[in-house]
Amino acid sequence: MASAVNDARGASDTRAESPGSAPCAPCKGAPPAERALSGRGPRTTSTIALSLSLLPLILAGCARHDRVVVGSKNFTESDLLGEIVSQQIARRTNLPVERRFHLGGTFVCHAAITAGQIDLYVEYSGTAYTAVLKHPATADSAAVLATVSREYRDRFGLAWLGAFGFNNTFAILVRRADAERYGLTRISDLGKVAPRWRAGFGYEFLERTDGFPGLARLYGLRFAAAPTALDLGLTYRALADGRVDVIAGNSTDGQIEALHLVALADDRHYFPPYEAAPVVRAALLARHPEVAAALAPLAGKISDAEMRRLNALADVAHEDIATVARDWLARNVP
Amino acid sequence: MTAALEVRGLGYELPRTREGGRGGHLVQDVSFTVATGETLVLLGRSGSGKTTTLKLINRLLEPTAGEVLVAGERAAGVAATRLRRRIGYVIQEIGLFPHFSVERNVGLVPSLEGWPPERIAARVRELLALVGLDPAGFARRYPHELSGGQRQRVGVARALAADPPLLLLDEPFGAVDPITRVELQREFQTLKGRLAKGMVFVTHDVREGLRLGTRIGLMHEGRLAFLGTPEEFRASGHPEVRKFLEAA
Amino acid sequence: MTNLVQFYARNAQEVLGLVGQHLSLVALSTGIAIVIGVPLGVALTRRPAWRGPVLGLANVFQTIPSLALFGFLIPLPLIGGIGATTAVVALVVYALLPIVRNTYTGIAGVDPAVREAGRGMGMTDWQLLTLVELPLGFGVMLAGVRVATVVSVGTATIAAAIGAGGLGVYIFRGVAMVNDTLILAGALPAAVMALAADGLLGLAERRFAWRAR
Repeated sequence: MASAVNDARGASDTRAESPGSAPCAPCKGAPPAERALSGRGPRTTSTIALSLSLLPLILAGCARHDRVVVGSKNFTESDLLGEIVSQQIARRTNLPVERRFHLGGTFVCHAAITAGQIDLYVEYSGTAYTAVLKHPATADSAAVLATVSREYRDRFGLAWLGAFGFNNTFAILVRRADAERYGLTRISDLGKVAPRWRAGFGYEFLERTDGFPGLARLYGLRFAAAPTALDLGLTYRALADGRVDVIAGNSTDGQIEALHLVALADDRHYFPPYEAAPVVRAALLARHPEVAAALAPLAGKISDAEMRRLNALADVAHEDIATVARDWLARNVP
Repeated sequence: MTAALEVRGLGYELPRTREGGRGGHLVQDVSFTVATGETLVLLGRSGSGKTTTLKLINRLLEPTAGEVLVAGERAAGVAATRLRRRIGYVIQEIGLFPHFSVERNVGLVPSLEGWPPERIAARVRELLALVGLDPAGFARRYPHELSGGQRQRVGVARALAADPPLLLLDEPFGAVDPITRVELQREFQTLKGRLAKGMVFVTHDVREGLRLGTRIGLMHEGRLAFLGTPEEFRASGHPEVRKFLEAA
Repeated sequence: MTNLVQFYARNAQEVLGLVGQHLSLVALSTGIAIVIGVPLGVALTRRPAWRGPVLGLANVFQTIPSLALFGFLIPLPLIGGIGATTAVVALVVYALLPIVRNTYTGIAGVDPAVREAGRGMGMTDWQLLTLVELPLGFGVMLAGVRVATVVSVGTATIAAAIGAGGLGVYIFRGVAMVNDTLILAGALPAAVMALAADGLLGLAERRFAWRAR
């Protein structure tokens, strides 16, 4: 914040003249406030008042370019990773970080970042590959990452930074008791019980091309009725309570163990790999390369098991996300 | 022949309020008899207890002392709703049911008592004619289509519908204009003569009282200060009576 | 706009299904609220001491934001969990205040002279209620039902978040997919439904209001 105020006052600051900061022109108009403050007569009071009331607007306009807005999707892991990224940027740079978490899902985040309303969020390679870029799924994780990096840069001006190191694929979950009773270990096994079962999915999974429609087609799943659509967060409870019999959770979710659920193996390899990585607006990186430097140490630091552990701390032990993030950073990224 | 109404030592005391306000006697030690065919006018200034007395008779208020006998039967001994169906009740605001036609208003008590429809219809026609309203023209109308005077006539007809031995009237003509009022008083006078009923008529209008009453009861501070014929009233030396006569 | 028309044409059956779900959520909850609320409102006219607590409680229910109320109800056994049951319970809670309060006001607003005349003529309390007070108060009561219904149509869209179906399904889908056509596909019929309910019940209200004169 202090740096932004200095910019406002210094009309000859080179940063104020660099490209992409035209909206900062009002900053140059700030000096009159400075003169007025030296007490130069009766009109000073009104001038001070006017300038002071305009100051927040001016500062907001200038400051916008010197803070990082971090977004996240609408589930715990996304919030956790968003918090880790936010804290790391705050630790290693002197950029203020603004959090806009729990946005409505993949497409909302994508629309927000391409519109410049957020600067960064954590995305999953498989999601970007199939749902955003609309490529058919493939299991080759290196190819997926390469493609999304390239196309995001060329089409959207977004950069993919180093992946965290875990693969959070969709987990088709059933209750352990049912898995044992009906001998379910693979998604293919669902075909025999599906006609008598009810499914419950979040809105995004139901609509995505790499979501339910494709899954049902590939595995030939026909349920008793159309799947119940409900808020993603409620699907776990619904499954545990017996209101639905199968859901699509995340393989790194902390509640799988806690609620005695079983993930069925994707034997026909329907889902692509989903490796999580920060996606950042290239324009921000160009102006603040220190952001990339700050996030570099995070690459490859979180395994599947580690992510599951962190998720469980938040979802099962109900610990505060900011605390979980801070503790993790303190221990793993000194 | 049993009196239409007998009241002995009637009293009504307000309960002490929780804040410790003094309870008071709105009505105290009131006794009188009303024979069939007789009209007792209860006169008195506002707050003297005349309306309260009326309500004690049909148990809209429960007496705290004394006894009421309607046509020889103890009022306290029957269910209040049963008692009230045997007493005609006419109030100043009339209180016609706005969503009922005149016919349905008048026939209310008979229908509550379960009379057959033809009998009710005949009775309604009879009563409307009695109070000077042409049944053909008025039966189907609604209260909001009637004038004040017409409404009051319907109110009286309604009170008479089940042929009760006793009629209670609380300033029935108070809400109409003076000319209509005199008209109604005159018609009421005629009507009274044709009906064999006991009536208690509450008013604060001395002239109306002297005109309509066979006896006058003057209430003052909850007690009956005077009970006698109109002539006796005019000749009385009681200070409250004199005040009323002077104000007339 | 043409996108919307095309969408409805292509998904006519699903649209009708969701509209039907939405209507049944609203109808069921309003019906239950009437069954509970009208007798409660009548009781308030007979026992003035209850007025403060009952109306106060109903008012508190109303001020709870809808999503928060769903949140309270979900963990409860029997009436909770995800699905239409919880949604109906929440909608009933919201419909109670207008219905109870208007039943009370409708009856209390009956001309005291009419009530006195009725009692004086020997009507029992039940006869007074059914022959006089309810018919005369009906217009005001209907106004309460109208408010409750319109509120329900709106709140029922949130029910989709907890798996109760209805037009909210389109809205949530549209939000997740950043698809404005889909959002509109859900929001438009809901708005039309609310307006229609308001209009029809308003008409019925006016028909019954004249009797009070």
